[in-house]
Amino acid sequence: MDERAFSRVAEAYAGRLYAVAYRLLRNRADAEDAVQRALMKAFAARASYSPRWAVSTWLYRVLSNVCIDELRRRRPPPDPAPAHGGRDSGDVERVDLARALDAVPREARLLLALHYVNGLSYRELARVRGISVNTVKSQLARGKTILRRALGDRRWIST
Amino acid sequence: MDLDLTLREFFTAAAPPRHALARLFRGLGGRSPRLEPLADRFRIEASDHGVTRLRPGRGLGAASPRARGHAEQAREELREYLAGRRTFFRVPLDLDGVPEFQATVLAEAARIPFGEVVAYATLARRIGHPRAARAVGNALGRNPVPVIVPCHRVVRGDGSWGHYAFGHAMKTFLLGLERATPLLVGCATSRIVCRRGCAHERRVAEGNRVVFASLRDARSVGYRPCRVCRPARVA
Repeated sequence: MDERAFSRVAEAYAGRLYAVAYRLLRNRADAEDAVQRALMKAFAARASYSPRWAVSTWLYRVLSNVCIDELRRRRPPPDPAPAHGGRDSGDVERVDLARALDAVPREARLLLALHYVNGLSYRELARVRGISVNTVKSQLARGKTILRRALGDRRWIST
Repeated sequence: MDLDLTLREFFTAAAPPRHALARLFRGLGGRSPRLEPLADRFRIEASDHGVTRLRPGRGLGAASPRARGHAEQAREELREYLAGRRTFFRVPLDLDGVPEFQATVLAEAARIPFGEVVAYATLARRIGHPRAARAVGNALGRNPVPVIVPCHRVVRGDGSWGHYAFGHAMKTFLLGLERATPLLVGCATSRIVCRRGCAHERRVAEGNRVVFASLRDARSVGYRPCRVCRPARVA
């Protein structure tokens, strides 16, 4: 992949990469930094890109590697997910969900972000993290179960 | 209400600020500074038992072929570390003449995981002398093997760097380097996870590299730890 092709691809995906990074790292500065580092890494390793992969899969893998390593340095919050139920304000729900996500193990959280931000299929998720499709399914299911429990709202249980 | 729907709404709500994207592309052509040549600016002294001293200067100080072997190994590992290809040192150390308190401090500092920082006071607490933060600072200041025993991972309680034998800029460089270097790398084809710097890890093709935050995470998705570098020791 030459430099111009890479720039085009990077431009096309930067927004989506940023959305994943922002939801995982939860602040703009870290998300920008992660996307920039991921793009620089991908740029440096562009010769190793193999066309048998979708470009998106490759970029998501580089980005998830950077984000996961950033999450490693963060200590888990002492009280990850206080239960809040029955509130109807959208903002409150959003805050609750962000907090509840902290209770979800990192790998499942990453898969949830990639799945819901970008609509990546199970197969693509499996390729991004180098895991089996079955593992993807079980991680997503586990993540959602933990979310439902952390949100402490009976409404979620039936879905 | 449907959790799937809420998750989809939650995750799509993060639109990138326009100026941020422009900034992202400005950085693309830039190169990060290469630290690797710094490895040649250390003088490494070794005995038959291991490395005894690392200080600014040049060359190796070794009286026997065995000692020279240790010094050369240290030089090579330092080069890899500074190039972001290694996260741990295997070369043996010989800290025989070091006083007991300082040896305890250095042993505790050596346990600080790669890429993390700890306050002087925390380190003092960990060795059972909670009021000895200043003494810990002094002991680290006389660290005979900086970088290999990572005294640069110890900072002041307020987050400032504190004293460092090779200067503030070097401490910033090292901590920045550790921030940009992953600790655990898995191979997507063999599903084995290694510490960065393991001989097996180096053979993993660029396109097959998957970074993990902990061994537990890697295990949870079906990866097993390498039997050579034993990542269980650090993560």
